[in-house]
Amino acid sequence: MGRKRKKIKLSTIIITIVTLIILAISLFPYYYMVLQSFLPWNMVDKALLPKSISLDSYRYLLGGNSAGSADPWQWVRALINSFVVSVPTAIISVLVGLMTGYAATHMEYKGKGLIYSSLLFQMFFPIIILLVPRYMLIRPLANNYLGMLLPLIVSIWGIFMYINYFKTIPNVVFEAAKIDGATHFQILLKIALPSTKSISIIVFLSVFMTRWNELIWDMLVAPDYKMQTLNVMISTQFNQNSTVPGPMYAASVLLTLPVIILFLCFSKYFKEGINFMLK
Amino acid sequence: MNKNIGAASKGMVKRKRKNTGIAWLFNVPYIAYSMVFLFLPLGWALWLSVTDWNLMSPNYNFVKLDNFINLFKDEKVQAAFWNSLRYLVPIVILCFVLGVGIALLVSKLPEKLKGFAAVMFFIPYLTSGVSTSVMVKYLFSYNSALSVFLREHFNLNVNWLQSKASFWILVIMIVWKMAGYYALFVLSGIEGVSEDVYEAGMLDGCTGIRKLFYITLPMIMPTITSVVTLAAGLSFQIFSEPFLLTGGGPALATTTWQLEIYNASFTRFRAGYGAAMAIANAVQIFVVIQLITWLLNKLNKKFGW
Repeated sequence: MGRKRKKIKLSTIIITIVTLIILAISLFPYYYMVLQSFLPWNMVDKALLPKSISLDSYRYLLGGNSAGSADPWQWVRALINSFVVSVPTAIISVLVGLMTGYAATHMEYKGKGLIYSSLLFQMFFPIIILLVPRYMLIRPLANNYLGMLLPLIVSIWGIFMYINYFKTIPNVVFEAAKIDGATHFQILLKIALPSTKSISIIVFLSVFMTRWNELIWDMLVAPDYKMQTLNVMISTQFNQNSTVPGPMYAASVLLTLPVIILFLCFSKYFKEGINFMLK
Repeated sequence: MNKNIGAASKGMVKRKRKNTGIAWLFNVPYIAYSMVFLFLPLGWALWLSVTDWNLMSPNYNFVKLDNFINLFKDEKVQAAFWNSLRYLVPIVILCFVLGVGIALLVSKLPEKLKGFAAVMFFIPYLTSGVSTSVMVKYLFSYNSALSVFLREHFNLNVNWLQSKASFWILVIMIVWKMAGYYALFVLSGIEGVSEDVYEAGMLDGCTGIRKLFYITLPMIMPTITSVVTLAAGLSFQIFSEPFLLTGGGPALATTTWQLEIYNASFTRFRAGYGAAMAIANAVQIFVVIQLITWLLNKLNKKFGW
């Protein structure tokens, strides 16, 4: 018995070491990115260890002194723009997902099948087809938050997450509330919403992340640098700035960090949520 | 908003259950969104694809199926068509192998480390293609430490992003981003397999690598099916990396549908032609995904799913 236990432990140690090595390789790009963003500009791309640390790159981006550019605060504004488009999109996707998902699973009405077919159709529809017509539709709202927000404000994937989740909740739970005289809106807000906590968090974060990392649409609809999101601003500037890469690394850190921190804070909800993603 | 509900419920409420009015109210945001930003643009796209509209001018002509006929002669379209398949094969294989590999490793970790490792492997999925492109661009730039090192020690002076290697650089970037995400699905599949199955297998002498091929993989076939389909779909959605790093080159070797549709519509201003291209792309996606689903279903049947 004792010998067997020892054997198991050895294999666990080997597996743990192998996993950690693969993990280190997989996370190395983050180390590299963060390190380069903190190096003095003459060291950037030339060092793998932090021999000396400097905040020059961040001062350049956030300190209001982006030398030579038209607007010293453009990077700060880009960061704010990213939040301005991502937060409302995530909130509205959660609300619409909740309502549509609830109706599709716990209500009986005429046209239910039609709406479900329409949802399924959109779930697997390649949205690239809609790029040109959506651009034509939104052109009057070019360089406007509303124009950036509206076409991407509902997440069909999010609706399906709620449908898959609500399917697992027996109707009885809501029927009981109905007998007590609760309206559907009350049920939705007071019973359904609290019970969907982990799903809502996952939908919120995933939609936030997708919107935050959106490139094509934001690039098309908001070419003005005052309206650009951080993602777009980096993509338009880094090819020209190859002589001073430091700030571009720092901007990339600012682009990836908020999303990673958000996900890490809520990672405990993932285990439950992952089961609803593949149905 | 109220007007809509009134109109929608008028004809419906009468007969069946009284839920209809309020249910449509719940659906109003979704219906409004999909009418304005899905079905309207879809109809518009179909119409555009048979015109020669140039994105700017108020005038355009109906050109019948000319756009679609021209697609077949366009080397950019041909490149996008073949490249999407060239991307698909290594991306699906690598995502599958790495996804299953990582999931198997993580599933064997001590309980305390498991959750932590799964979350850490998932992080690359959150990264914008723009930040990875920034890193890759500078890593391979002329003055980077890597280029200097290769030049001085191996006398190698290659513009990597415009060489044959660029295709594989993009594949690695995409696989790096997605593998941990798929591993999470596979892991949740593996955790769902009951211990009894393994014990029964053990009694029949099924251990080690055979356990993997005869028990674990067949038991998680539904998860594998989803992961393979998702990874296949992914190879049709590549945009940021070739757009920022290679511009689709060298000689169209890394170009993708999304990049070519974007370029046709918004840099060459052939919006009608771009719309036709997008429809061709959708047809290819549909056929390829159907084919893969059909193959996977056959495989699933073999394992009794």
